[in-house]
Amino acid sequence: MIQDTADEAFTADLLRGHTDTIVLGVLRRHDSYGFEIYKSIREATGGAYEIKEATLYASYRRLVRDGLAEAYWGDESQGGRRKYYRITDAGRAAFRSNISTWVATRGIIDDLLGTAVPAHTKGTRA
Amino acid sequence: MNATDPIRRSTDVHRLLDEAFAGVELTPEVQDLKEEIRDNLLFRVAELEASGVEPSDAARRAMRELGDVRALVDGGASAPSSGRSESAAEAAMRYRVRPKPGFVVRTVLLSILAAAALVVLVLGLADVMSLGTGVLIGLSAVFGVALGVVTADALRQETTANHPLPTGRAVAFGASTGVLLAGLAFTAVVIVRLDLAWIILGALLVVAAIAVLSYLGATQTNRHKAWMLEQERAATFANRFDEDPAAAARFGIYTAAIWTVAFVVAIVLGLTVGWIWAPVALVGGFVVMLITLARMLFGAEAGRKS
Repeated sequence: MIQDTADEAFTADLLRGHTDTIVLGVLRRHDSYGFEIYKSIREATGGAYEIKEATLYASYRRLVRDGLAEAYWGDESQGGRRKYYRITDAGRAAFRSNISTWVATRGIIDDLLGTAVPAHTKGTRA
Repeated sequence: MNATDPIRRSTDVHRLLDEAFAGVELTPEVQDLKEEIRDNLLFRVAELEASGVEPSDAARRAMRELGDVRALVDGGASAPSSGRSESAAEAAMRYRVRPKPGFVVRTVLLSILAAAALVVLVLGLADVMSLGTGVLIGLSAVFGVALGVVTADALRQETTANHPLPTGRAVAFGASTGVLLAGLAFTAVVIVRLDLAWIILGALLVVAAIAVLSYLGATQTNRHKAWMLEQERAATFANRFDEDPAAAARFGIYTAAIWTVAFVVAIVLGLTVGWIWAPVALVGGFVVMLITLARMLFGAEAGRKS
């Protein structure tokens, strides 16, 4: 159990370090809004880990400021306004570049830790 | 998705959200963030309630999960991120956008078409090829339309430094560029083939296009872009027309007066001296308008410095 908690902290840290890329990965599939992005990340981790919503809001603002994503308010029939995010071409380029950096880093860490597994495919999806 | 749609009767969320934002200055940006958070919180509360949590607990739990709102408002930009120490140039290299293949093909083909139209037009005008006047006018139109489409298409593309122009604005730029080029080509056809009185139509096209382009250029702005809004908060801009809307209105009236005079002079010149001289008045009007624009936009600042 103690081991589990340490594992969770480690995984949560790793995820947090890649928040922007993960969000871009979600937006790459379709325009999305905060809660939906939050939910797809939670579902992708099987509900075990989550990125804090505050971290996600900070990420959205960074992405918009850097021109990697654009925000727009959608029209909602339920009465509330919903803020959607759209990935830009610059965002797609940044995503591709981050993915190749990640793949390279993962290779190095796998080599260093001796965990290299040929059939290892986790992390390249999205 | 419907099962987790927000139940908007929950007042707890609104109260807790107001408490979280208490004492924070409600700039438009913060208000924006608050509305975004509100919508997402309502979703989360609905989800929790659907899983059997008491409504009031659900609201508090959703707020707790949200984390520290204040940190988000204060340090929006400096929140934890993955290595943002790289220079702007490095970021630009990393995030550079490659042109889309479709765009490259369209541009090349249309440019070839425009070049071909221009060459045939020149050959026709020089009587190397014998072409009817109608064909020459058609070639002028093809030349203008092709380059107009190239212009609009290029402006619609996103680059590293720029988001694409809004479609309407890109089309306006493209259309006026096309009309300008077609008008110039038509003027050449008039001089060689047609009665000189037609030159007024060519001049009209050219001047109208230049006027539209000037308008588009003068109103071109980044001010609705997110990073500009951010910078605006840090430093105020010294654009005369933004600071002083009355100056912009004055410029509009001056422009109308300048062009009215220019057109009257053009017609008078055409009827007295000859139509070939009519465009001189329009060129004069254009120059006066540009000088007025320059003086009104930047004159005040220069005056303050000296």
